[in-house]
Amino acid sequence: MIELENLTRQYVKGTATTDVLNGVSFRVEKGEFVAIMGASGAGKTTLMNILGGLDKPTSGTYRLEGLDMTRAGDDELSRIRNRKIGFVFQQFHLLDRVDAMQNVMLPLIYADGNVDGRAAAASALAAVSLTARAHHRPAELSGGEQQRVAIARALVTGPVILLADEPTGNLDARNGLEVLAIFQRLHREGRTLIMITHDPVVAEHARRLIVLKDGRSVSDQPVGQPRDAEAELRRMAGDAPGVQ
Amino acid sequence: MHFSRNAALSCQILAAHPLRTLLSMAGVVVGVAAVILMVSIGRGAEQRILDRIGRMGTDLVTVNAAPARLMMGRQRTVATVTTLTAGDARAIAEGCPHVVAAVAAVNKSLVVRWEGTNTTTSVVGMAADGFRIRNIPLASGRPFEADEDHGQRRVAVLGPTVVKNIFGTANPVGQEIRIGRVPFEVIGTTRPRGIDANGADQDDMALVPLDTAMRRLLNIPYIQTIYIQARSSRWMDDVEREVRELLRERQRLPEGRPDTFTIQNQKTLLLTERETARAMTRLIGGVAGIALLVGGVGILAVMLMAVRERTHEIGLRRALGARPRDVRVQFLVEAVLLAGVGGLLGVAAGIGATHAAAALAAWDALVSWPAASLAFAFSIAVGVAFGIYPALRASRLEPIQALRSD
Repeated sequence: MIELENLTRQYVKGTATTDVLNGVSFRVEKGEFVAIMGASGAGKTTLMNILGGLDKPTSGTYRLEGLDMTRAGDDELSRIRNRKIGFVFQQFHLLDRVDAMQNVMLPLIYADGNVDGRAAAASALAAVSLTARAHHRPAELSGGEQQRVAIARALVTGPVILLADEPTGNLDARNGLEVLAIFQRLHREGRTLIMITHDPVVAEHARRLIVLKDGRSVSDQPVGQPRDAEAELRRMAGDAPGVQ
Repeated sequence: MHFSRNAALSCQILAAHPLRTLLSMAGVVVGVAAVILMVSIGRGAEQRILDRIGRMGTDLVTVNAAPARLMMGRQRTVATVTTLTAGDARAIAEGCPHVVAAVAAVNKSLVVRWEGTNTTTSVVGMAADGFRIRNIPLASGRPFEADEDHGQRRVAVLGPTVVKNIFGTANPVGQEIRIGRVPFEVIGTTRPRGIDANGADQDDMALVPLDTAMRRLLNIPYIQTIYIQARSSRWMDDVEREVRELLRERQRLPEGRPDTFTIQNQKTLLLTERETARAMTRLIGGVAGIALLVGGVGILAVMLMAVRERTHEIGLRRALGARPRDVRVQFLVEAVLLAGVGGLLGVAAGIGATHAAAALAAWDALVSWPAASLAFAFSIAVGVAFGIYPALRASRLEPIQALRSD
């Protein structure tokens, strides 16, 4: 579904040139759960931006479901971002003066056709078990709940792929595990996910691990023994009885 | 983009930041209200002039026995000349075909006394039909008649300011007063008439018969003023011409010598005043329009601030699929919403201010709906014009940069 061939990305500032990506190539098939790991400066975020159509590579090709994203115009990329890609950010990026339901409905404003916004949003919220909190504002939600709203927002247009950039970076251990549990459930339901992280423990919840170093992929292996987030959550609850 | 859904969301976001929203609207509200208030004040002034025209009648021509100079847009007589007589008034009435009646008058400032109080006022000696020709309405009592004039009877009709000054709240009719040293009986009072076209207070005067004034009070053979009633306001210029010819002939003025009198055509006088008032209205309306423009600058400034504060939101919308055009439209719509709501509030405030000003100054509240609609439309235009730049700035933000910013 995703084909990257020899992707490079250079930033030029005055006379200084920085090579952030130096020839990245891999393929992701439908239904895979991939983690991309690397130290900061290794090019993870740049790769994520290119995968999400927010940036274009300096050279190389990127195909999403057969479409050459490197040749797509600005308007077309916007449409593809809206229909086919769901973003989950480290800082959640929710609108703080409107409630969860309206946050989830936001992508639908830019969608074609007459989708029943409320119904689609309600079902997305149900998928992340937040139906009860649909009319609360972000300030009234915990960090984990906010990120779950963001995930519901990413799902609402029925995208073919979910891109998550350090999704647990701003969350504590428990909330982080809740988010990973949702990712693993979505994966079991057949969704394709790509997750960026610097944390090897988080990466081990995916099924395949690509490691970037100096703008290149230096390792691309399946995860030997993937962790089970739900099991870890149950263990956490068991270790501290009475704590909800 | 789903326009109405996004507009509804914009309304919510704007409402959730009340301070920022009100600040951006403030200039427009004040500007629109100012335009409406200024124009209504101007129109009120015009209306009052028209009322005066209506009250005084536009068929009155006044001859004053002195050459006049134009001072500050009003005619002022400069020297006293003793060339007009009561005979001139009779000659005008008989000899000018477009004249219905001519009333002679004299005036002098004298002291009027009653039971210990006194006041100085303008004592006007006038032929009896002056009440009719000059449209002088009575509040109580009766005017004097022609035979009282010929008989040099000592009767007087007082203006409301004189009544207030020496009688207070007592009823003056039937009382005896002294004008100069001569006793008079008060037979009537006039209703308030305000200030005339020359700036004279028509309420601070005492009317007595012409012959009484000329023989018993002032002892003069000449008169100062002739009030002439034209057949209708159509003939004003003809009357002016006929009277001038007749008087120059009677005084044997050769060609080239200037008039020893001044003819005032009430109609042109007041119409000139009305034109001045109209020009004033346009001027202050224009100044208020500038205020509205400044209000637009307010929208510009606050929207730029808003764009900066909402950088995350803009980056997010782009990441979720908004095209640059969608962002532009969104912010432009928000600017128009701000200007439109501001305009409506301004119209309401302007109408309120107009009524308040009218109540305070005892005028009629004259809201000009064309001016209000124009001001409102202008406020929308201002919203669009000053909203374009912030909208462009917003649409040009790079999504990655926008998401990353603080």
